[in-house]
Amino acid sequence: MKIKFRIKRCDPMSRETCEPFVQGYDVEVTEGMTILDALLKIADEQDPSLSFRKSCRSAICGSCAMTINGFSRLACATQVMPEVKKFGEMEIEPLPNHTVLKDLVVDMNPFWEKLEKITPYLTPKEGAEKVCVLPEDLEAIGKSQQCIMCGCCNGECNALEIDKRYIAPAALAKAWRFVGDVREGNARRRLDKLSDEHGMWDCVRCVHCTQYCPKGVAPLKAIELLRSAAMKEGITDNHGAKHAVAMAESVKRVGRLDEAAMTFKTLGFLKSLGMIPFGLKMELHGKMPLPLVFAQINDIAEVRAIYEACERKKGKG
Amino acid sequence: MPPLTYAYYPGCASQHMTKEASDSTRLVAKALGIVLRDMPKANCCGAGLLTDYDYELYLALNARIFAEAEAMGHDIMTICSTCLMVMSTANRDLKSDPARLEKTNAILKKAGLHYSGKVKVKQFLWVLAEDYGLEELKGEVVKPLDWLKVAPFYGCHSLRPSDALGVDDPMKPSSLDEVIKALGAEAVNYKGKTKCCGFQVDLVTEDTAVRMTGTRLLDGKSKGADCFVTPCPFCHVNLDNYQGMAEKKLSTKIDVPVFHLAQLVGLALGLSPDAIGLSRHLVSPEKILGEKIL
Repeated sequence: MKIKFRIKRCDPMSRETCEPFVQGYDVEVTEGMTILDALLKIADEQDPSLSFRKSCRSAICGSCAMTINGFSRLACATQVMPEVKKFGEMEIEPLPNHTVLKDLVVDMNPFWEKLEKITPYLTPKEGAEKVCVLPEDLEAIGKSQQCIMCGCCNGECNALEIDKRYIAPAALAKAWRFVGDVREGNARRRLDKLSDEHGMWDCVRCVHCTQYCPKGVAPLKAIELLRSAAMKEGITDNHGAKHAVAMAESVKRVGRLDEAAMTFKTLGFLKSLGMIPFGLKMELHGKMPLPLVFAQINDIAEVRAIYEACERKKGKG
Repeated sequence: MPPLTYAYYPGCASQHMTKEASDSTRLVAKALGIVLRDMPKANCCGAGLLTDYDYELYLALNARIFAEAEAMGHDIMTICSTCLMVMSTANRDLKSDPARLEKTNAILKKAGLHYSGKVKVKQFLWVLAEDYGLEELKGEVVKPLDWLKVAPFYGCHSLRPSDALGVDDPMKPSSLDEVIKALGAEAVNYKGKTKCCGFQVDLVTEDTAVRMTGTRLLDGKSKGADCFVTPCPFCHVNLDNYQGMAEKKLSTKIDVPVFHLAQLVGLALGLSPDAIGLSRHLVSPEKILGEKIL
């Protein structure tokens, strides 16, 4: 069966092809063939100038991440036939959120720089004694060890799309791999640094990273665990942590989200004042949130009993 | 056949800030003969923030919501995608791990409650597209919106993570597109329809939130959309309330009205713009509705 592959190409170094363009290639495909097989076939039989990264062909090296019909995936782990069946076409583009070097090859330097920022190795306490790592200790850091650094998560990350300085999911998943390790001696310092601007609290919870990771690493889970760990350490002097703490207080007090109190507690007095013009504009349409004072849910005592039970457990832990 | 009946969980936002979303949902449900039973005890799901704060507390508080629905004997219907995702994820974690469910029930016991894991959580969008049915919905339309080009904005939390939600394919969702078509309108296709509105960081990094909102709106508008529709009140807060800020930040006029899902359905069912609360929007839909509706 012949399938048309529409591949987005560009060569910033060449005067003729420095603007991105789409080139079509007809490829004879068979059942079980992967996108990478097809790209190799194109390069072998039709156009040796087509550039793309590849190595292991078995979803281990993480080289061949690219955009396949709109979503970041590994070319070697995605088959042609199911794609054609689902989308009716084959559109291949470079990994998003990265600068194109040529065709499907992107500059991974910013990716590595973000990883370096989180100090991607264990730093045990000076003179620390031997630590026994139990199976359940390994389970705590779980899937964050399985990252193959392909960049699919950063490619899909919506926060990174808007803010290139954002630390992004790949580095955050890696950060949890060390923060959550029983042998690590500097977890608190790491969490402090991750709480800075453009750090872990900038995640917009779009869930793209977890959805599209080809190895099931679930970076969003790692981000949640990092945030929990930071709050447990008392690192709460930032908007993200204040927001989460304010939510926990609001639910305990009235059982619901108190928008006005959340804004005030997250932004503080001065910044909340800055929201007044926007609030008044909202109020023209009856939308300004007012503090909930008496608007408790029914049986709020049940909610508080649950808080108490969890707090007691935490205290023991 | 008994009428479709749900334990109705509007979510916190739609009890006040986006009240029009819940009011219009009640009117549309009534018009379609769908019964919504209130959950007077229901607490906030935590909107993801409680998941960060304390995972066990998050599971227990969500199990408390499920326990109320279980006692009512109904599945939950929510009109908020974030509530949907947060509750569905908790439900997945509880149902897939008996030990975890038992641990959570030990906490619930302190509040005199129990959850046995029988409740399903549904988005109003899925209730329309699947439980009620698109053909039936089409049959109820009295004012087809055949002059309107609508950008479906699924947002994140009705699609991902698909192992907890599992109705739409997150790469190729169709439920919202199909509802738009059932109302007679044209569904505009654009890349941003499965992306994020930025709501989660409104109070954390406003710059990212506002730019993201503007980027999505301009994407849909560039593909010819007259308006947006979203099944999530938080997406609505950003796409509508924050649109003015996005215009300033991106130095461009956007001016695209944004409907809650129930409002768009309501218009096609012949409900009046006042009844469905269109005057509560910051970006007025008057210009695009014109004499067709008003």
